[in-house]
Amino acid sequence: MGIEWWQILLLTLYAGYQICDELTINSSAGSAVFAGFISGIIMGDMKTGLMIGGAMQLTVLGVGTFGGSSRIDANSGTVLATAFSVGLGMNQSQAISAIAVPVAALLIQTDILARFANTFFAHRIDRFIETENYKAIERNYLYGAIPWALSRALPVFLALTFGGGLVNTVVSYMNSQLSWLATGLETAGAVLPAVGFAILLRYLPVKKHFPYLIIGFIVTALFATIYGDVSAVGTAVTGLSKGFAHNFAGLPMLGIALIGFGFAAIEYKHSMEKHEVVAEHGSAEQQETVIDAKGEIEDDEL
Amino acid sequence: MTNSNYKLTKKDFNQINRRSLFLFQLGWNYERMQNTSYLYLILPQLQKIYGDDKEGLKKSMKTETQFFNTSNFFNTIITGTDLAIQEKEGAKGLETVAGLKVGLMGSFAAIGDSIFAALLPAIFGAIAANMATVGNPTGVLLWVAVNIGVMYFRWSQLGFAYKEGANLVTRMQSKLSALTDAATLLGVFMVGALVATMINIKIGTVFHLGDLSVVLQDKLDMILPKLVPACIVGLIYWMLGKKNMTATRAIFIVLFVSIALSAVGFIVKG
Repeated sequence: MGIEWWQILLLTLYAGYQICDELTINSSAGSAVFAGFISGIIMGDMKTGLMIGGAMQLTVLGVGTFGGSSRIDANSGTVLATAFSVGLGMNQSQAISAIAVPVAALLIQTDILARFANTFFAHRIDRFIETENYKAIERNYLYGAIPWALSRALPVFLALTFGGGLVNTVVSYMNSQLSWLATGLETAGAVLPAVGFAILLRYLPVKKHFPYLIIGFIVTALFATIYGDVSAVGTAVTGLSKGFAHNFAGLPMLGIALIGFGFAAIEYKHSMEKHEVVAEHGSAEQQETVIDAKGEIEDDEL
Repeated sequence: MTNSNYKLTKKDFNQINRRSLFLFQLGWNYERMQNTSYLYLILPQLQKIYGDDKEGLKKSMKTETQFFNTSNFFNTIITGTDLAIQEKEGAKGLETVAGLKVGLMGSFAAIGDSIFAALLPAIFGAIAANMATVGNPTGVLLWVAVNIGVMYFRWSQLGFAYKEGANLVTRMQSKLSALTDAATLLGVFMVGALVATMINIKIGTVFHLGDLSVVLQDKLDMILPKLVPACIVGLIYWMLGKKNMTATRAIFIVLFVSIALSAVGFIVKG
């Protein structure tokens, strides 16, 4: 196989579009899992795309809100990893660790460039305010989309056009001489979601809500074990007896989420009642706690 | 009172909302962040409000291109109150507007970030990723559907904020803080659930005592299933609290340590 020119074109267009989507309408087309979905479809193997995108999504789960700097670009990483994995037959987990993560980290640099480039247009707008040129203000504002789109589209285009040979060499070398590294990259791919979760915990008020962290973990850990064991037993029994044909579904995460939603609803009701009491005594104190609880958050809008 | 006496109409709101949804933040820059975005959203309306008062309009445009950065899910609440003031008082109200913008952008950034930039992506991103890892695209589409709901929410706040004017924020404060509280609780709960399902790592070490071989992972499972993922997340959480630690650095440290531990056979994918 290989990567066709029209596939490169579509992937490049998507890479340019996704960052603008994330800045503006936020349809979730600018998420890693969507990036995997769409590049999987373009490459003709949606499943591989979804798996890579899903893994990258978990890795960067909390990254968007951590620190206030440019963020790691999991989407372009996913696009390239999917393209090379499907097009050149690279193992999925290896593609995640060896392509998606390094590319994602590298593209922080072009993100910074885009943000700098837009300072230029902001200054032009300042000038046009002086000369009351309203059309030019609007035009120069919209030009801002160009550095943003190029910051993703250009690296993706270059990597897809010229990266294939390099990736091919690395893959064949890794599968022969460096098999320990290949296994290591796969394992690392499985650990990476832990970073996303840890970042999210840093961001959320864990100290305040720690009982729910324990409940969420234990309930799910126990259910996951039961579901896993029962389905293993089921498979074994199916192997023994043809009459036994029950289909075992995996643990539904939505169900777990709804348990959490129940707790959240209780908390909401409680704090609304508390507010009503406080409101009678003046609400100054209450308002301060809002700011305090969120004090750690920097201005890190995209 | 401005000399045009212009009253904003439904059409104006639609135009601002269209620009907010499809074009806000395209001008984001390091120097003043969302400043040009903010002006672009309301430029046609400012022109109508100020009419032939060119000096007032210029003054207003300069005020509106000062430093501004807030959540892109709440920006039009601020826009709505801003326009209500300028429509009534014109350039005389600009000092109030400048104070209002600086005063509100921080708190709305905080609320917007915790709900729309952290919580929703965490929950629906995790559900989508969870389904995606077995090749099922339903979760991705569910997330898109949820975000369409969020778009409706973003669309509806402008007219509301314009009507309520400056009183809005004080009235909504308690409700918003209760909502943030409940939302972060759900977030913490979900992270616990995700740790238990999405990190598939096992200890690979097996001890050999004569003929007896002891699989370490089996012993750990007797204490508590999923203990290893919990410890890994705990370690990374601790690491992120160190000075000079960034998300990107943490990802690379985890990458290298995992490869090393896997090479010596201590951890395996499972």
